[in-house]
Amino acid sequence: MSAAGRALAIALLALAGAASAGEIKPGSTFLSAPMQRQQEDEARNPGWLWVEQGEELFSRRDGASPTCVSCHTDPRQGLRGAAARYPQVDAASGKLINLEGRIEQCRVDRQKQPAFGYESQELLGLTAYVASLSKGVPLAVSAEGAAKPFYDTGKAFYERRQGQLNLACTQCHDGLVGQKLRGDTISYGIGTGYPAYRLEWNGLGSLHRRLRACSLGVRATQFDYGSDEYLALELFLAVRAKGLALEAPGLRR
Amino acid sequence: MASFNARITMPAEAKAGEIVEIRVLVRHPMDRGGQVDAEGRIVPRKILNRLTVTYAGEPVFRYDMHTGVSANPFVSFTTRAVETGDLTFEWREDGGATFTRTARLVVT
Repeated sequence: MSAAGRALAIALLALAGAASAGEIKPGSTFLSAPMQRQQEDEARNPGWLWVEQGEELFSRRDGASPTCVSCHTDPRQGLRGAAARYPQVDAASGKLINLEGRIEQCRVDRQKQPAFGYESQELLGLTAYVASLSKGVPLAVSAEGAAKPFYDTGKAFYERRQGQLNLACTQCHDGLVGQKLRGDTISYGIGTGYPAYRLEWNGLGSLHRRLRACSLGVRATQFDYGSDEYLALELFLAVRAKGLALEAPGLRR
Repeated sequence: MASFNARITMPAEAKAGEIVEIRVLVRHPMDRGGQVDAEGRIVPRKILNRLTVTYAGEPVFRYDMHTGVSANPFVSFTTRAVETGDLTFEWREDGGATFTRTARLVVT
C-alpha cells in the first residue's frame, strides 16, 4: 500500500467512529425540502393510501372472527404510541417481534384468520395505519432485560463486515453520513419513517424490504422478511434512534 | 392486486366566486406494459388513461394520462366556486373499467 493509500485508510477509520446519540437524525432530514414537504402533506404523500387501506381493514369483518376494532375500540387513543415500542420481546413466546409480527400474531391467534404474509399489501396497510397513529411519538424501545441478547445480536450485525464489498453498516451509517452514495445522500440508517413510500419502489415497503436492499447493495446475504437477523438489527436501530419521533408513512427516494 | 383508492383533498365549503384548489391522489400501478413479471410473462399496459371532473354537471377538468405518468399519480387543479354541488371524479382505465368518486362543495 502506498503512503497516500495508508493515509486514506487511516482517515476512513477515523471517520468510522460511532455516531453519538444526540447527533442521530431521521432519514427525512436528508431529503430535499420539496420531498420533506410532500412527506408531511397527507394530500400528496402516497403512503396515506395504504394508511387508508389499513384503517378499512381494521374494522373489516372476516367471517365470524372479531374485527381489530372489536378489541381496540378507540385506536386513536388506545394505540397511540404502540408502534414506538416495537420491536419488543413477546412475553409468551420469548421471541423478538416487530409491529408486523404483532399484527400477524393478533390475526392468527385471536382472529383465527390466515396470516396476510409479510410484505403483502394488507399487512403493509395495517402496519402503516397502526404506525401512523404514533406519528410524532418518540421511539421508546427497550434494550434491557429479555431484549438484551437480541440487542447485542443486532449490534454485532451492525458492526460486522459482510458481503463481497466487505462493509459493515456502521462504516457508512456512522462514518460517512451526509456524503454521497451514487445519487443519494447517506443517512444514519434510521427506520422511523417505515413502512415508507419509496419512489424507487413505486409503493409502500417495510423496513425489512429496505434492509434487503442494503444487503444487496453490499453484495451480502439477503435475509428473509421477518428473519431473526433483521429483527435483531431492527431492534438495534430502534434503540439507537431512541427519542426520535415516528414519521410513518415516510417518503423516501 | 392493490385496490383502487382515491384521496381527494379540497375545502368542504367556499364563498361564491372563490377559487378552490382540488388535490387528487389515486392508488394505481400505472403499468406501462412491456415489463416481464416474476413468472416471465409480459405485463400488458394497464394505466388510468383519463380523469374527468364535473362540477354540478359541468365539466371543469380533464387530464389525459399516458405511460410516462408515475404509479399512484397526483394531480391538483383549481376551479371557481359557483354553486353548491357535487364534484364527480371519473377515472377511465385501459380496458374500459371506470372508477367514480364524488365530493360535495358547499358554496356560501
